[in-house]
This record gives sequence, structure tokens and C-alpha cells, in this order.
Amino acid sequence: MNLRFDERDEAFRQMVRSRIAQILPWDISDRHRRLLANTSHLHDQRRWFAILDAEGWSVPAWPVEHGGTGWTALQRFIFEDEMYAADAPEFHWIGSHMVGPVLYTFGSKAQCDRFLQPIRDGREIWAQGFSEPNAGSDLASLRTQARREDDVYIVNGSKIWTSGAFEADWLFCLVKTDTQGKPQRSVSCLLIDLRSPGITIRQIRQINNEAHLCEVFFDDVRVPAENLVGEEGLGWTYAKFLLDHERTTSSFIFWIKRELTRTRELGRTVVRNGRQLIHDPIWSGRLAVLAAEIEAHEWSVLRVLSEESSGFPITAAASVLKVKGSEIQQSITALQVDALGEQSLRDYGAESLDASTDPIWPDLYQGRTSRALITRAATIFGGAQQIQKNLLAKLALGL
Amino acid sequence: MDFELSEMQQMVVDSAERLVTAETGLDQWHARRKLTDGVDPKLWVKMAELGWMALVIPEDAGGLGCPMEDLALLMIELGRGLVTEPLISTSVLAAHVLDRALVSERRAHWLGRIATGEVRIALAHEEPHTNGTIGVSARRIEDGYMLDGQKAVAFDAPSAGYLLVTSELEGTSALFLVARESTGIATNSYALIDGSRAADLTFASAHVPSDGLIASGAAADRILNEALDRARVALIAQAVGAMEVALRITAGYAKERQQFGQPIGKFQAVQHMAADMFVAAYQARSALYAALRDIDGDASKRARSVAMAKVVAGMAGQTVSRNGVQIHGGYGVTDEYVISHYYRRLLVLEKQYGGIDLNAAKLALCEAEA
Repeated sequence: MNLRFDERDEAFRQMVRSRIAQILPWDISDRHRRLLANTSHLHDQRRWFAILDAEGWSVPAWPVEHGGTGWTALQRFIFEDEMYAADAPEFHWIGSHMVGPVLYTFGSKAQCDRFLQPIRDGREIWAQGFSEPNAGSDLASLRTQARREDDVYIVNGSKIWTSGAFEADWLFCLVKTDTQGKPQRSVSCLLIDLRSPGITIRQIRQINNEAHLCEVFFDDVRVPAENLVGEEGLGWTYAKFLLDHERTTSSFIFWIKRELTRTRELGRTVVRNGRQLIHDPIWSGRLAVLAAEIEAHEWSVLRVLSEESSGFPITAAASVLKVKGSEIQQSITALQVDALGEQSLRDYGAESLDASTDPIWPDLYQGRTSRALITRAATIFGGAQQIQKNLLAKLALGL
Repeated sequence: MDFELSEMQQMVVDSAERLVTAETGLDQWHARRKLTDGVDPKLWVKMAELGWMALVIPEDAGGLGCPMEDLALLMIELGRGLVTEPLISTSVLAAHVLDRALVSERRAHWLGRIATGEVRIALAHEEPHTNGTIGVSARRIEDGYMLDGQKAVAFDAPSAGYLLVTSELEGTSALFLVARESTGIATNSYALIDGSRAADLTFASAHVPSDGLIASGAAADRILNEALDRARVALIAQAVGAMEVALRITAGYAKERQQFGQPIGKFQAVQHMAADMFVAAYQARSALYAALRDIDGDASKRARSVAMAKVVAGMAGQTVSRNGVQIHGGYGVTDEYVISHYYRRLLVLEKQYGGIDLNAAKLALCEAEA
């Protein structure tokens, strides 16, 4: 065991930092810094990924033959860390972290040829259709059905909480292809063009005014059979592969680190009782404890990335990242809201704002509460906190 | 960065695991209470023979010159078995102070004695804060120094032959090395809740020869802070080991204990408490790693990383030990069930050389001054 950072990794960090500074357009990072919503502007995301694609950096984790970088896990960690620190748009992770890996692992050559490049350069945006009105954390009760008729599947049913479906091009969708068999063998994975006839999309207005989450309704939607991923009935296998493949994304570590920087800025900007908030012992004490937790959280991510053998299953360690990561996301946004006091209560609406010229309301204040409100979902999506804890008790402790 | 154990590290871990399996448990912890000074002399000799006291002492002074990662791995194992022998006081804290404060033959002499287990040295640093007490100050006399004042809760002092005493001297800091049984030093020994020992020390015109002053001024502060941070890392590592065992003991109990016709581990309320324990223990180990990365680095970064780790591991220790006792029900608060011993030890490990509050306050100050 040797826990020092390698000088080569430090050199790599300097290299990506200076390159990102050169290629990231100023207007994109500026807009990104002032986001009211929790999700990057799609237009900026597309632009940024076209730029990254030209650099060969848009899908670092993919195998080199599919356009990946060949970087080590730690280098990819550093790259993403730097991307967030520079206020670049986030990965559109459904495409780059889910659909891509599933396709190059289980998909046909034709599917790879058709879909991978548009993911790499941001031309096609994907949404993920897992949850249904009656299948949230309990995915086994899926009902959306795909009936095979010659060379098409006829899809009927609905999905909910489908992030960004209204502006996405494709849906990576779990459907039931067998209504009789065991749930484990009855689910398949379909790639569905969101412009297909019979699809209706309704945006759901959220607690923070955003309407990024959607409902997607399928009414006799015809999906070419060639859009089936791998084999019929193996949907669970692929979904499980994804979970194993993406162990650290749910840590939100980079997002958290960026919010920590913002929180520190708030501590110096806000004045309370005639002094900078950072000198208020209660608030700075909370900040200090949270920063310590974040430092440990980052090391938890590094341990999982390096597949440290801990005597516990690595899936349990990955669950720790999800549980702790979502807790910290909520604590840090709450600390920001508390920093602003009554000024946290202003409703900014949903549209992005121009740079503030009003000294009472600095740019930094905008979006803090909006983020905090939607971050209540951090312990709900991707398997509610309680489900994660059930899972942990079973995986790690055999309860 | 590499999480795999080297051959040397694996050897240390294996030998520690063997000793912990053979020599620790309820009987040993109960027997510890009857020892006069909290140390089992046979166990102490065994540990010395295994080379543990020499682990982080530099090679040029008769040690093994291993990095702090190796020490942490050893401490994790000792933490598993709630070993309270004063290894940290002597072979981590005092060893570092003497390594940095002494030179040439005298340095080799003292470090050699530590490495072989021949001597035990305790730090007398904390001072009482109640009315009517005063801290230690020194004044220069013809053939050395005269020390007066009091120290409180000097960990492991009852079994130590020598003391490292921090003191005020002519308006600045000073570090003295003195024999504990010198004239003018009174020791008031007592047991701590985990069976280890500490003492309050009263200095009344205690005479220290000239060479007893081993560091002064900024150098004394620097050396002491480095040594304390290394000791803190060792404590955190022991806490990590203790937590990981407390977790397994509790999960085992939850699988066995039947209520309402089923093992209590089948109840989600219990499962979630156990899951919180697991998350906490995992975080604690991560915090330990963060501290280890910076332990030999820049002083302010080191101090900050160690304080962060002390906070995270301290909070994690509370979650693990509190939930552990709760899941054990009434048995959790009995002396017969090992979980109560883990609870007590984790409390000591959290508080020793500064607990959660103290370190959080230190970090808050860093935030304000950044």
C-alpha cells in the first residue's frame, strides 16, 4: 500500500487542466456557472462534446477501438475532476456512460456503427427509460410491453422520471417481451427513436420550476427488431452490467467538489452580523465538517476505482458511494441555502438569467436554492436511500 | 497510488493478526484491569520481538525505516483486538520526537532502546483547565532546569520510565525528557474506560539536568506537532480496525438474536442501522488514507488532513459503536458482551489527542483563514 500521488498523475492533471482552459469556450463555462437548473444547457453540452470529440477526449472510458483514450481509471478521474472544476458542461452520461458501454459490449456491429459516433460527438442525446409509474425502486414490476410482430416490436405502456426525454433523440428502454415468464427472464432492452409515431412526452414541472423530468407514453409504437440490444429476455443482465460498470458515477464526487468551492465562495461573499459568514463559528464549523467528509468521500471513490480488496464485495463499496454521495449533495446545498438566510427564499423562475448587475443579488446567489430543492431527489433516484441500505445490509453484512 | 499490500506489509499484518487472535478477547481485557500499570509485560516483549516498536524508526538508528502506511496497517490489526499496550506513545510519538530532537550517539541510543522495547516513554502535554491549577513552566538554574506545575491525563504515563514534558521556558516552548520517578514529580495514576492507564503529574521544583532540554522555541512546537499528528494517524487506524470488527460482531448478533419469531437482522429498521455502520466504517478508512497521503508532507496540509481524518473517523466511530450497542439491546450495555468494550475503546480513540469538536474547530479556523 502506497497512498502518495504519482508525479506522472500530477503532470497529467496539469496537462488536461491547461488544455481544457484552451478549448473550453468562455461563454459556455460562464453560462454553466450561472445555471439555475441542475442540468447543463443541451446546446452547450452538444458544442462541448463536439470539441472534446475533436480532441479525442469525449468518451475517455471507452475502449480505444471505440474512441476511448486508454487512460487509467485514475487519469479518467483526474480528467473529470478538472472538467467540473473548469465549469465545463457535464458528460451526457446516459449516452457516454450507459448506452455506449452496453452497445459495444452486447450490441451488434450494426448498432455500434450506427450509434456510437453520434454519442461521441454529442449529435445524438439519449434518455433512459427504466422507471414506471408503478415501478420506481422496484423495477421488477415493469409493465411496458413490447410485442414482437415480424420484424418490429409494438410497444405499449409508459415510463416516468425520464430525464431530458423532451429534448433527447433516443430512448434506452427496458420493456417486457414476455408476459408469462419469470420477471428475470422477461425483460429486454430496446433502443427507441423518440420521434417515432405513437410517442407522447409530457414534461413534469419540478419542485425547482425546472421541467427536466418527463413522462413518456407509448401507444402502439413500432420499433424495428434490429433495435433490440443483445438477446430477448436479458434486459436484467445488461442493466446489472451497467451497475457493475459504473460504480463511481453515483458518488457525484466532482459535482460535490465544485459545490464545496461555491460554498466557500459564499462564505466570503455573505456578510452576517457585520463580518464575513466564514467567520461565523457555527456556519464555518458545519462547512469544516462537511469538507472533511468530502475529503473522505473522494478517497472512497479512489478505493472503488482501484478495486481495493476490502474483504467486502465491491458492489457494497459502490453502494457506500451512492448513500454517502447523495447525503453530502443534500448537506452541501442545504449549507448554501442557510448561508443566504432570507435571501435564499427568492424564486428566480426557470429561465437562465443574464449576469447580475444588482449588488444585493450577486450571480453566486442565483440557483443555490433551486439546486437545493431538486437535490432532495438525490436520495430518491437511482434506487431510494432506503433501498440502498437494504442492499448494503444484505451485500456487506449478510442480513 | 496503490492499495495492494507489499510483501513486508502482508508480513506485518499476518503477524499482528496471529497475535491478536491468540492474545486478545474478553479474558485478556478483564485481566488487563488487574495489571498494576496497564501493560502486560509478556505481550510487550512479544511485540518488541516482532519488530513493531522498530517499525517506523529510521534504519540509521536501528529501526526498520518503514513508511507510515505500514504502521497504519499494524495499528488497524491491533485496533481489531482492542490492544491498548502503549505502542503509540513510545514507538510512534516519542520515537519521532527523539528522532528529530536528538543527534548522533544520543539519538541512536534512545531510538535503539525504543526499538528493542527496553524503554517506555509517555507524553505529558495536556494541562488541567480547572480553577486553582497551573500549567508547567520551567526556569533555568545553575545545573539545569526547575519544573513546576501540573499536567493532566498523560496517556500511558503510569507504565512509562520516562516522560516527554512540554513546558513554558522564558516565554517560549520547551520539550524536556525526564525520568518519571525523579524527585519532585508526583504521579497520580488511574484507569481509563478501556482498561488503559493515564496519570496526572505534579511537578514541584522538579530538577532536570541540562541535557534534559531536548528542543525549544519553534523547533519544539514543530517537532511536537509532527509527532502528535503521527500518533493521531495511528489512533485513527486503530479505530478503523475496531470499527470493522464491531460491525461484524453486530451483524453476527443480528443474525442470531431472535425476536418476534425471526432474527432481528430481518427487520429493516435494524438493517438500516447496520448499513449506516458499514458506510461509516468505510468512510473512516478512506479518511485514514487521506491523512496518510499527507503525513510526511507540508506542515499545514498535514495538520489539516489529519484533523479532517480525526473528525470523520471520530464521527464514524460514534455511529458504529452507538448503533452496535443499540442493536445488541440490553446485552450491549453489559461488560460480558464484547461490543461494550469496542464502544469504550472507540470513545478513547476519538478523544485522545483531540476529539471531533476540537478538530472541527481547528478546521473551521483554517477555513476562515484560508
